[in-house]
Amino acid sequence: MNKIKIIIPIILLSLFFVTDSFAFCGFYVAKADAKIFNKASQVIIARDGNKTVITMSNDFQGNVKDFALVVPVPQVLQEKNIRVVDRNIFDKLDAYSAPRLVEYHDPAPCNIYPSTAKRKMSIAGGRADMVVEMEATKEESDADLGVTIQAKYNVGEYDILILNATQSNGLKKWLTQNGYKIPRNAEEVLDPYIKSDMKFFVAKVNLKKQEQNGYTNLRPLQITMNSPKFMLPIRLGMANGKGNQDLIIYTLTKKGRVECTNYRTIKMPTGMDMPTFIKNDFGNFYSDLFKKRWERNRGKAVYLEYSWDISPRNFVKCDPCVSPAPNFSDMQRAGAWWVEGSQNENVHFTRLHVRYNRRKFSQDLVFQTTPNKTNFQARYVLRHPYQGDVSCSQGQNYVHTLIDRREKELDNLEYYTGWDSYNYNNYISDWEDKIERKKYKKGSANPFGENPWAVILFLLLNASVVISVLKLKRIK
Amino acid sequence: MSRYVLHQNSTINIDARDYQILFLSSFLFLGIFTLGWDTDLLKYSLLIGSCLSLQYAARIIFDLKLSSLKSAMITSLGLCILVQASHWYWYLLIAFIAIGGKFILRYEGKHYINPANFGIIATILLTDQVWISPGQWGNLAILFFIIGCLGFIVTYKVNRLDLSIVFLMSFLILEFSYQVLYLQWPLDHLIQGFTNGGFLLFTFFMITDPVSTPAHKTMRKFWALGIAILAFIIKEFYYVPSAPFWALFYLAFTTPLLTYLFPAKIFLWKNTTQNITLKTNN
Repeated sequence: MNKIKIIIPIILLSLFFVTDSFAFCGFYVAKADAKIFNKASQVIIARDGNKTVITMSNDFQGNVKDFALVVPVPQVLQEKNIRVVDRNIFDKLDAYSAPRLVEYHDPAPCNIYPSTAKRKMSIAGGRADMVVEMEATKEESDADLGVTIQAKYNVGEYDILILNATQSNGLKKWLTQNGYKIPRNAEEVLDPYIKSDMKFFVAKVNLKKQEQNGYTNLRPLQITMNSPKFMLPIRLGMANGKGNQDLIIYTLTKKGRVECTNYRTIKMPTGMDMPTFIKNDFGNFYSDLFKKRWERNRGKAVYLEYSWDISPRNFVKCDPCVSPAPNFSDMQRAGAWWVEGSQNENVHFTRLHVRYNRRKFSQDLVFQTTPNKTNFQARYVLRHPYQGDVSCSQGQNYVHTLIDRREKELDNLEYYTGWDSYNYNNYISDWEDKIERKKYKKGSANPFGENPWAVILFLLLNASVVISVLKLKRIK
Repeated sequence: MSRYVLHQNSTINIDARDYQILFLSSFLFLGIFTLGWDTDLLKYSLLIGSCLSLQYAARIIFDLKLSSLKSAMITSLGLCILVQASHWYWYLLIAFIAIGGKFILRYEGKHYINPANFGIIATILLTDQVWISPGQWGNLAILFFIIGCLGFIVTYKVNRLDLSIVFLMSFLILEFSYQVLYLQWPLDHLIQGFTNGGFLLFTFFMITDPVSTPAHKTMRKFWALGIAILAFIIKEFYYVPSAPFWALFYLAFTTPLLTYLFPAKIFLWKNTTQNITLKTNN
């Protein structure tokens, strides 16, 4: 009976646990048949407890009268829960957390003791822009639909409706009739959303307001919700065919890093030495590195690009910093309502990158906030060689190690991006010319590189296998 | 030169736990080498080391057999595969709760909680510094196949195949009815959830722990059904990731009641033992 007494408080205790996490994302649908090129969509999610603030970037490029947005939301939103924010918050978070290059300059090898030489460090920023194509489909429209408008607001340059629908056909027809195009692949998810009691947040541009405001670009919409669900309904935004779409998710939480619970969250490779020539081509470099990583994991994963504790009391907000870290007013604009600038607040920033398509992503993205506060960044290292005199013996040694290092850099490049290192022969041969007596042989016959311990270990292992085989034979 | 000699007609006892240790460690290696998990040696050594040493201490106190260390090894490997913590010391707490719970929460001479499951969920409730990453397994078809086959072998050996099958089928039926028939998600939406490695591991390696499950044959089928229903409710209406783990945590506390109401022969590991006799002529 004593055991039963122990059980009861534990059961009671556990009933009070709060479910972890939740939120939303939108997708852009084209109105009419305009073909639109959208850059990678970006979303900021600030979440604590069940409250979620989600900001959807708007880099719609096309005629603003063709813009239309549909987002499934878990409840009817009030007007105070919808606002427009300045577009630059996305630029700021993007620049802060983008994959980065760090450069080091080798010291002069002659007349300087290498151990005391300080390495100069400088930072080169850069980010990869990925272009995503969204297509619209042709649909016929009809009347009488079972769609009710639950709320109607005008926020900034947007006309916003909150719809409740009872059946998917009606909703589909209503949307078509009113100029919202849903990609054909996405129609199959209307029913599940309706049955899950989701409402539909739809936005169009009010052209008069837009002219009055004088904004040339559409500003991001920010909505606040209360729901235990921490997810992004990507299914509705899936374009037709095999097209891949890129989505970058920035999250701000009190607790720690955000990860996906229904797909793998994989860290991007980081910290490798890369050839110096990628500096001017960093956008393509990262784009190919991402693509390669994506292919290796067969598309089915979410990638972690950045994770950092940006609480006001944490002084090291990045290492190296590509651009200023978000300050507390940026965090507030990004939706982190709990931040007021005092020293004891907690904010953890996570940047996730996902490239999705209908075939690989059958479920919406579901997330959880973990207490993991480890910092992570996608960072690639460039080491610039010393350009002065290398004729001394130390200098000649330096050239040899430099050539080895550059070979490794090219191997890295080929492995991580798929770029053919054969095209960059002069990256090494330029330095081979600097060897005074051409003793240097390219490549090493030793498969274990320079590590003699690996050879010894290998031989010992082999010997032990041979000995044990012989012994076993004798036993028989 | 010293020579390693096998005793004449020496006997090696292999019970189902040895298979579990083998399979679970293979999943750990699979995770590290193919799924790109963190190679956090400190974590693995802390979990395995503390579980084994706690069990060893308990062995001295309660005068248990040396082979009881195998159970602790299984618990620690399960923890290595499933749990993550924000600091290294939480791993010690998890191991302490897992092994400690095993000796405190007992009924009629056997523990009724699954040590790994209890260790993880109780630590989440107590500290909120520990978490399970259900997404870390991905949805590889080959993984699905491997875990399924190996799990089948182990559950068959410990005579708990009925439990796995009842749980799997009833959870599948519930999810199918709700997601596909009611919400009308396409079928691949459902399949995605069922090919998750973590879910399969739970089905074949966690709920089938023969000691902590009800011994009565019919009752344990209802018990598995109960876990499936509770997991379904927690997953679909409370939106908790890794819902089955929570369901097992709660329902483990019904095992003493079921054992009291429906007594049955207690499970003994030695009944799964195979004696392999090596004949040597050395």
